[in-house]
Amino acid sequence: METLNQLFYGFSIALAPENLVFVFLGVLAGTIIGLLPGLGPMSAIALLIPIAYGLDATTAMIMLAGVYYGAIFGGSTSSILLNAPGVASTVATSFDGYPMARKGYAGKALATAAVASFIGGTISVVLLMLVAPQLSRVAVAFGPAEYFALMVLGLTAVVSLSGQNLVKGLIAAVVGVMIALVGTDSTTPVQRFTFGLPELYEGIEFLIVALGLFALAEVFALLVRRSQGMNAMTIGSLWLNRQELGSITKVSSRQSLLGFFIGVLPGAGATVASFLGYASEKKLAKDGHTFGKGNIKGLTAPESANNSAAVGSFVPLLTLGVPGSGTTAILLGALMVLGIQPGPLMLSDRPEVFWGIIASMYIGNIVLLVLNLPLIPLFAKILKTPPAILLPLIVVFCVIGIYGLSFSIFDLFLLLGFGIIGYLMRQNGFPLAPLILGVILGGLMERSMRQALQISHGDWSIFLSQPISAGLLAVGALSLASPLIGYLWRRRTGGNAQSGATDIAVAPDADAAEDAPESANSVTAVNSTDAQSAPDAGDPTDSDGTNDGGRGTS
Amino acid sequence: MDTPFRFSNRVMAVALGLIAIGYLVLAFQMPDFTAVQVPVQPSTLPRWLGVALLILSILLFLQKGGAGKDATASGSGAASNVADSEGTSDEGAETGTRLGRLSDPRLELALFAASAAVYIALITPLGFLLSTTLYTVLTTWYLGYRRHLVNLAVSAGVTAVLYFGMTEGLNVVLPSGPFPF
Repeated sequence: METLNQLFYGFSIALAPENLVFVFLGVLAGTIIGLLPGLGPMSAIALLIPIAYGLDATTAMIMLAGVYYGAIFGGSTSSILLNAPGVASTVATSFDGYPMARKGYAGKALATAAVASFIGGTISVVLLMLVAPQLSRVAVAFGPAEYFALMVLGLTAVVSLSGQNLVKGLIAAVVGVMIALVGTDSTTPVQRFTFGLPELYEGIEFLIVALGLFALAEVFALLVRRSQGMNAMTIGSLWLNRQELGSITKVSSRQSLLGFFIGVLPGAGATVASFLGYASEKKLAKDGHTFGKGNIKGLTAPESANNSAAVGSFVPLLTLGVPGSGTTAILLGALMVLGIQPGPLMLSDRPEVFWGIIASMYIGNIVLLVLNLPLIPLFAKILKTPPAILLPLIVVFCVIGIYGLSFSIFDLFLLLGFGIIGYLMRQNGFPLAPLILGVILGGLMERSMRQALQISHGDWSIFLSQPISAGLLAVGALSLASPLIGYLWRRRTGGNAQSGATDIAVAPDADAAEDAPESANSVTAVNSTDAQSAPDAGDPTDSDGTNDGGRGTS
Repeated sequence: MDTPFRFSNRVMAVALGLIAIGYLVLAFQMPDFTAVQVPVQPSTLPRWLGVALLILSILLFLQKGGAGKDATASGSGAASNVADSEGTSDEGAETGTRLGRLSDPRLELALFAASAAVYIALITPLGFLLSTTLYTVLTTWYLGYRRHLVNLAVSAGVTAVLYFGMTEGLNVVLPSGPFPF
């Protein structure tokens, strides 16, 4: 009952005219950015943070949440129409969505995606509302040692899910924390790695790293990517018949539950959820053998799973203040700049933000449905934006975002530097999510570590003597060992379809570089062995095929 | 050659190892804070991180292969490049056209990065409106967009909307350059 009262309170905030406008704008901007090849939720959020700075904290957060699930939905549109997932979490969407479009049912496929996203989003928001306050109550008891352990767990989980190469993931995380430590020490006046440059005394703003690594690096990737011209695709009718709606509802309901819980886990996220959703639905469906040939269930499953996972990933962010993915890490950075410290106290200190976000998600979901269905023809046009115009404009958006934040030309050169680093990383198979998570959590981690040691008078065993902290660190260690365990398991079982599904959980790139290879050819080859190895889904050498083309979740 | 700037694990390991050593040297030169008793010195975590990076780069050195083999891909670029490099690529990726005019993608990337650097350097002296319009028009033209009037209209229009939206709407002052507004 209390929850309901709180929710009504949240609605009274979210339905304020200006917040409604910003949910609408956020969803629209997110959808458009998600549509564009190469830009997904992380770029979308990073690009819009500068606008958020000018807003009230609650409004800003509501807008950014709208951007997040708008971007995930936008990705599905380009997956369906072009077979070029704009977001990693919609790679699985293309397996059946694109074949449907090729058969002339593009409109039906887009409508299915919209309805499945809506159901997934709505069910998971209800779950978020029920789970988050309970978790907050538990988390209030967390001290600095527990927080330190929690952040270590967040980092290790993202590393372990960010690809096959654990060493590269760890390197990215370590470098991320290194970047976080640049500047004046938080508790002493000692300068660290500033090289005497006053511009670095304040440290490196996370947004510079985020925009450089994601948006700008993507521009470099698009520049040298070979692509076919965009083919015009006839949309056809959007109407779904009763039988289709029935099967969408059934599949979405169960996949939303699965997606939400995967989203809650640190390091997993929308990409993992969408692949697992696809693989599990293929097993459950009577007509599983037709998956990959344009089966509506094969489109519904990943779409509802990825949207609900996106909402699920808000659970650790809002209740613990520890992001479990690259995208929520960027959201955390935005929150902190807005003067909000998410965590167990947020519910009691800033209930308007907490419940406002939850209520705005309900509204956002409705907006997503209402907005996307009529605008589908327009979106199809946006997909035809010539890259020659798009590339310089993305650079300009990055520049204006950073300059508007710090008014510093030095920061703009730093942005360019991170763009180059981000490009080199993706060319060489280094995941990006651990790095951005390291940048955002590094400072917090060090602070928690110091506070814990202050309490224990310098005794390091505090991290292992506190049960919760020890447990979290153990899970972190296990999560690093899990790819190895998965690998051994695979060798033992000979990599059958069953393991395909497990690998998906273990290996896809939970980082978030977000976009997919822009190969405009058909993925009709999702054969009966898997949700694993669509040609586009990444590395062909990667036998478990979980690689989602290297983008990541949100 | 569609895999610019891809290196073997060994090359990357050596580069990262050198960075780690440099970082460690700086971390060990960092002064201790002695004014009051603190359980953790500012240099403690950096030293650990430096050691961790050094160990990780040694592990990377010992791994076989290079990015092409374990492209867990952190980006689409990698993904599509893997596809290309492994010869299992989609035909579309092989036969499609690439933006730009240079045959070597590495030069193309270097030129693009250099043009962005020039643009950044010109923002203050020329002002945001002028430098951004110039940059977008020239880049779009260079990348092969042929409808010059559309190019000019879009570039100038978007730049103006951004500029006035930021300065008037959000009160973010952007360099005005020679213009009085």
